[in-house]
This record gives sequence, structure tokens and C-alpha cells, in this order.
Amino acid sequence: MSQFLNLLVAGLTSGAIYGIFGACLAVWFRVCNILNLAVGDFAMFGAIGTAWLVQNAGLPFIAGIVVVVAGVGLAAWLFDWVVLHPAFDRGRGARGIVGVFFYTFGLSLVLEGVARAWFGTDVWGAPVIWSGPALSVLDFHVQRAGILVIALAIVSGLALWAYLRFTVSGRAASACGESRLGSRIVGIDTAKFRRRIFIATAVLAALFGIVESPLSGYTYASGPVISLIGTVAAGFASFRRPGRAVAIGLAIGVAESMLGGYVSTSYNDVLLYAILFGIIIFRPEVLGLGAEPA
Amino acid sequence: MTEPAAAESGTLPGPAPGSPGSAAAVHRVRRRDPVPLGAGVCVAAVGALVLAAMNGSYLGLTVTTGVGFAIVTVGMVLQLGYSRQLAFSQSVFMGLGAYGMGVLETKYGFGSLESLLAVIGLALVTSLLIGAVVTRAPGLALALATLLMPLFVFQLATYSNWLGSFAGINGVLPLLTGADYTTTLVESGIACAVLLGIATAIVFRVIRSGVGLQLMAMAADERLGESLGISLRQRRLEVFVLGSVFAAVGGAAIASVQGIVTPDVLSETSEITLLLMVFVAGRRSIVGAIVGAVVIEYLATSTSFISTNLGIIEGIVLLVILIVEPDGVAGAIDRLLGRRTDQWAAMLRSRLPGGLLARGGKGGA
Repeated sequence: MSQFLNLLVAGLTSGAIYGIFGACLAVWFRVCNILNLAVGDFAMFGAIGTAWLVQNAGLPFIAGIVVVVAGVGLAAWLFDWVVLHPAFDRGRGARGIVGVFFYTFGLSLVLEGVARAWFGTDVWGAPVIWSGPALSVLDFHVQRAGILVIALAIVSGLALWAYLRFTVSGRAASACGESRLGSRIVGIDTAKFRRRIFIATAVLAALFGIVESPLSGYTYASGPVISLIGTVAAGFASFRRPGRAVAIGLAIGVAESMLGGYVSTSYNDVLLYAILFGIIIFRPEVLGLGAEPA
Repeated sequence: MTEPAAAESGTLPGPAPGSPGSAAAVHRVRRRDPVPLGAGVCVAAVGALVLAAMNGSYLGLTVTTGVGFAIVTVGMVLQLGYSRQLAFSQSVFMGLGAYGMGVLETKYGFGSLESLLAVIGLALVTSLLIGAVVTRAPGLALALATLLMPLFVFQLATYSNWLGSFAGINGVLPLLTGADYTTTLVESGIACAVLLGIATAIVFRVIRSGVGLQLMAMAADERLGESLGISLRQRRLEVFVLGSVFAAVGGAAIASVQGIVTPDVLSETSEITLLLMVFVAGRRSIVGAIVGAVVIEYLATSTSFISTNLGIIEGIVLLVILIVEPDGVAGAIDRLLGRRTDQWAAMLRSRLPGGLLARGGKGGA
């Protein structure tokens, strides 16, 4: 029983990572029908940037967080202004399914390259926010950082869900994704919502990277894999439901942990990805995707 | 050399014969419409000559590897550029080709050509089986499903002792064996160039055919294609299989040139590199895909500055391409040349036939 509980908590912790990135992806896709494949790289920058500022530049932890979060927000704004604004507001550049994937894919490559040039290939982890030994009840152990990660994921998922569901601004944001032209006709500034939510999700991802990095450690190359699993979690939430994306991310994490604990530690990811692949192929309707974005 | 089928059909709206635009249009059709066999022979001959001139140098090894990648990217032009089928499975099939060569040669004593034929057969069957289910999924679901393939196949190869685990399989035979290392490299390079020529000819043939027109209609609007009676699922499957087989052949060629196959060939990094080769050079241009594969492979292994900062450079170039010219460098060149040749044709028209006619009319009057 204790093994099951320990595996469950480990799975919820890793699942929280997938879930929160899935939520970030889903909320932005809902607004502008673009997948943010750089969301993992923003988390990587948050984690490594904070660690670097604290360890190498001697900044206090809080100051490091502020500087990194401001930097990530600025980078997101700059990307929107330089790339997304001309591509989507002025009608230049590639559209359709290529636009869905490849603008943020390009950003991911740039961020990964910059991180490699700046921070090297070492493993980095930001300082622990809630320090102390793991909490134990009988044979059941849970890291304090893990509790923070799970809590942050659940709170963020609920907040994003509530924002989209219960606020006028959230409904306006959703309308942008449903019909860009219709939204503009009724006076909604689609570019503003795209930009604001892109910056907000980038900052959220960076904060999450800071909280989570003491557990797993980040390298310059950590971003793409996180983004990919987040994409899968968002996919199972129809790319539009951040709350469900968190739940599915948690489920994926638990499944991965259980497969590792009870089946094979080497092949748990292989099995997990194969199962997800099978679900998408044989039941594509679970993704809830309509027609391809134009 | 882009979109020749549109012009070839003769059914698409265009300028009437004898109208001012017709000469330029015919000129453009001729320029853009290479004969598949001729194009294939041309690509093979140029590739063979270039590799022979490099005479087994390090640059020759890099270019030969680039030619191997080019076999994959030529298939991607049909799949991604022409049919807009966004599948992230090319690195998986490239790995299938590379590992297939390695396993058959080192474990079962196959020769290199026997292995190549077996790999083609294996890729055909595998891609048919996978494609039959994968291509059922609509655009985004297909992309998402195939996005997972490199992840689990990479891990499978990494942990499998039979496939050599992290170290991979060493001792893959070259496609052709010469008297010494230099001759072997040159001959293998020429064999790769011939394979690239065959791939180019096949893709040109498909694009020029009625199937090419159907693919173009599907890419423009799937509902339109369906209303024209095109079997979307069958065409999607055919494109997927062809692209996958080319990827396997490219992987086999790369493994033969390098003599080793490691799990890296299956990684998402490998898939990213392939996508960049196609996007930066031009996803709708076969020549662009070939040149892009060779140039990016060269840049990735040339100076340490470029190889270290390749991610930043590739990312920025990709973004610029997407915004400024979505058809890539080849698209920009093609557009520029098209404009220029149109200007030349207009100039010729005004100076020769038009001028003569005007003078004749005047004289007659």
C-alpha cells in the first residue's frame, strides 16, 4: 500500500508538470488557435535563470525570481510584437497548420540555443522555496517541493478555468479563438488578448519552472520534452480546456509512475507514449478537434 | 521547379493563346516543368560529379550524409509541402532504415544491397500498417499522434540491448565497397546520389500526374477534394507510405556512409533538423529540399561557432522564413526569377513579334 501511495504522489508531482503546461497551452490555443511549443522553454529559462542569478550573480532569491519573471515576460512580449503581430494581425507569413506549430517552434529553438550559449550544458535547479526534510506518514513520503508543485498546478488550473468560464474578459478571450472576425466586429481586440495571455502563460510557466526545478533539475534541453507532453495533455483536453488539461496531465503522470513501479522502470515511458499514441489513433474523437484552423 | 502540375493540366484557367500573358505563362510552364526522368538523372549526375570531385575528403563525407538527408527531405516535400500532411514520423522511419541495415548486416550477414532492398520492403509494410491507422486521424490529430512516435521509439532503441542500447550498432557496411577508404566513400556517395536521383524522379512523376493534381486540390481544401470524388484517405495513405519509404532509404544511406547507427537518428532533434531542412530551403521545392539538406548538414558540422549556435541561427532563420517567405529560400528565388523572366518575356514580346507586327501593319497601310 505504501508503495502505491508513494508512486501515486510521485506520479501526481510529475503529472502536475504536464498538467500545468497543458493548461498554459490550452488557454492560449483557445484564444488564438496556435500551439505554444515554447512553454517548456519558458519554464526552463525561469528555473535556470533564477539558479544562475542566485548562484553566479549573487542576487537574493526573491530578486532573482523578479528579474527572471520580468525577463520572460519581456521576451514573450517581444516575440508577439516582432513575430506574431505581423503574422496574424497584418496577414503576412505562413498560416494554417504550419502556423499552428512552427512560429512557437522557432521560438523554442531560439530560447534553447540562447540557454545553451549562456548557461552551458550543466543541470541547474533554483533554490528550494519550502525547505526541510520530506514529510512522512508511516512509509509514505512526500517532498515539500512536490506538494508545492501539485498545489500550484491545481490552483493555476482552477484559476484559468474560472477566468475563462466566469469573467467577461475570459469569455471575450474565448470568443477570439471561436471567430476572430466576429470578435473584431463586436469590438474585441484579438491581438491584445493573444498578447496578454501569451505573456501570462509564459510567466506562469517560468514560475512553475522555478518551483519545480529543485525536484528534477533543468538543462537547456529540458524544454521541448515538457512542451511535447504538455501538448499531449492539452490535446486530450481538446486544446481548449485548461482545467481538464491539468486533470489529464495528472493522470498521465500517475500512469507513468505506476507503469514504472509495477511494470518496467526502463520502458514505462515507452509504454505510456504507446498507449497515448494508440488512443489518439483509434479514438481521435477524444481530442475533440474540429476542422483544421484556416 | 515548384507546382508544375498546376500548369501542366491545361484545364486550369490561364491566359488565352495569343493573349499578352500567354507567352510569359508558357515560358513559366516550360521553366517549371522538368521531365521526371531527366530531373532524376540530372540530380544523380550532378551529385555524383560533385562527390567524385571531393575525392573522399571530410567535406565529401559531410555532403554524402547531406545527400542521405536529402532523400528524406525530397519525400517530405511531397508529404508536407505539396500535400500539407503534417506528420512527425520521418525520423522514426529514418531510424527504421538505419537500424534495419545495421541489424541485417551485423546480425544476419546480409550484404548491403540485399539489406537495402529488405529495408525498403520492411518500410513499405510498416508504413502501410501504421499509415492505415494514422491517416484516419484529421490534421492536428495526425500531427499529435506522430509527434509521440519519435518519443517512444527513441526510448525503445535506447533501452534495447538487441539494438545496441545507447551505443547503437557499429559496423554497418557501405553501399558499395572500393579498394580503399577513399574509393569506398566516393562510390558510396555516388550510390547515394543515384538513390536521390530515383527519389527525385519518383516525386516529380507523382507531382506531374493526375494524383499530383488531386493532392494539390486536397491541400487547398479537403472538402473541395472530396466533392471532386477524390478518396482522401487513400491519397493520404499513399503520400504517407511514399514519404516513409524515402525516409527509410535516406536513413539506410546515412547509416551506410557513417558505418554506425545510434538512437540519435530517432530522436526529436533529428526530426527537428529534417523539418528545418525542408522549411528553410523551401517546403514546396524539390531542389530547395536537396540543397537545404546538404547545406544545413554542412553548417551543422562545419565551424564550431555555427555548430554551437545552430539552434539560435536555425530558429531565427525559420521565423524570418515563416514571416517573410513561407515557401522558403527556394520560393523567394523562384518568385524573383519568375518575375525577372516575365519581364524578359514581356520585353521580347514588345521588341520582336509586337514590333514587327506593328511595322508590317504600318507598311501595309
